[in-house]
Amino acid sequence: MTESTERDLGRLEVVIGRLLRAGVLASSLCLACGLILTVAGISRTMAQMALSAGLLVLLATPVARVIVSVAEYLRERDWMFVSLTLGVLLALAGSAVAAFW
Amino acid sequence: MPPITVSLALVIFAAGVVAGGLGVALGLGGGIFLVPFLTLGLGFSFKSAAAISLTTVIATSSAVASARAGKHLMNLRLGMLLEVATAAGSLLGGITAQIVAESVLQRSFGVVAITVAAVMFARLNRRNVIICSIDNPSPEVGRLGGRFFEAESDCYVAYRVKRLPLALGASFVAGNLSSLLGIGGGIIKVPVLNAWCGVPMRAAAATSALMIGVTATGGAIIYFGHGDLQPVAAAPAVLGVQLGSWVGMSVAQRAPVKWLKVLMAVLLIVVAGLMFARSGS
Repeated sequence: MTESTERDLGRLEVVIGRLLRAGVLASSLCLACGLILTVAGISRTMAQMALSAGLLVLLATPVARVIVSVAEYLRERDWMFVSLTLGVLLALAGSAVAAFW
Repeated sequence: MPPITVSLALVIFAAGVVAGGLGVALGLGGGIFLVPFLTLGLGFSFKSAAAISLTTVIATSSAVASARAGKHLMNLRLGMLLEVATAAGSLLGGITAQIVAESVLQRSFGVVAITVAAVMFARLNRRNVIICSIDNPSPEVGRLGGRFFEAESDCYVAYRVKRLPLALGASFVAGNLSSLLGIGGGIIKVPVLNAWCGVPMRAAAATSALMIGVTATGGAIIYFGHGDLQPVAAAPAVLGVQLGSWVGMSVAQRAPVKWLKVLMAVLLIVVAGLMFARSGS
C-alpha cells in the first residue's frame, strides 16, 4: 500500500464515520420521538410518521455509505474498487426492487 | 405477533443493549441471539423477528463503525470486496431455502460453528500481526492488508490478508444465512477471517461491524417493503443498541484479544447447540 492511498483511506474512514454517526443519531431521534408519542398516546399519525422516518433513515444510512465509497474510489481513479462498490450498490437496488415491486 | 406494551418494549430495548455490546467487541449484530429470543421467548413470528433483528444489525453496524472510524481498524477495501460476495449470497439466500431443508441447514451450520470454535481455541495464542519496528516501520502488506495502532502491544502492527478465496466463500455463506436467518453474518466471517485469513481479531471485528450494515439492509428493505417490519417493536431495539455499543466500547478496548477469542468460541458453541436443538424439534 502506498502512502497516498493510505492517507486517502484514512480520509474515507473519517467521512464514513461521520456519515454513519449522523444517520444513526437522526434515526434514533425520530424513533425516540415516535415511541414517546406512541406511549403518551398524543397523535397516532405523528407517531407513525416519526417511526417510519426513523426506520427509513436507518435503512438509508448503509446505502449512503456505499455511495460515498463509490465517489471516493472514483476520485482516486481506482477502477477496480469503483466497479466492486457499484456491484454492491446494484445488489441493494435489486433488494429494493424486490421489496416494492 | 404479541401486542407491544411498555414492558415488552423494555425487554426488546435490553436485547438491543446486548446486541450492541457484543457488536463492539466481536463485530456481530447480535441477530443470532435476537431471532431465537424474539420467536421462542416472546412469541413473534419468524418474519417479524427477522425484520426486527435485521434493523438491530444495521443500527449496531452504524453505531459501532462510527465509533471505530479513524482508528484504521476497519479494513475498507477488504470489507468492500467481501461485501460483493455477501450481497451475492444474500440475493441467493431465498433460492437456497427452497432447495435445502431447514433442518439440514441448521445441522450444517452447527457443524461449521463447532469446527470454527475448535480452531479458535487451538489458535488462542497465535497472533496474525507483524509488529512494526523502527527497522521496518511499514511492512509490505499488499493491497488488501492493513496497519493499525494496537494498545496491547503499544505499537503499530500490520497484517497481510491470506486465502482470499476462503474469505470470499465465508462471506458468501454469511450473506446467504443473513437473509435466511435474519442475522448479520459476523458469527461466520469474523472467526474465518481471524483463524484462516490472517486478519487480527480486532480488525476482523471492526471490518465485519462495518459490513453487516449493508448485508442486513438488503434483507431489511425486503421485509420493510412487504410490511413485516413493525416500527414500534424495532424502535426500542435500535435505541438499545446505542446504549449497548456505548457501554461495550470501554470494556472491549481494555479486554485482551485472547478473551475476545474465547468469547467468540463460546458463543459459536452455544449457537451450534441452539441450531442442533432446533433441527431436532
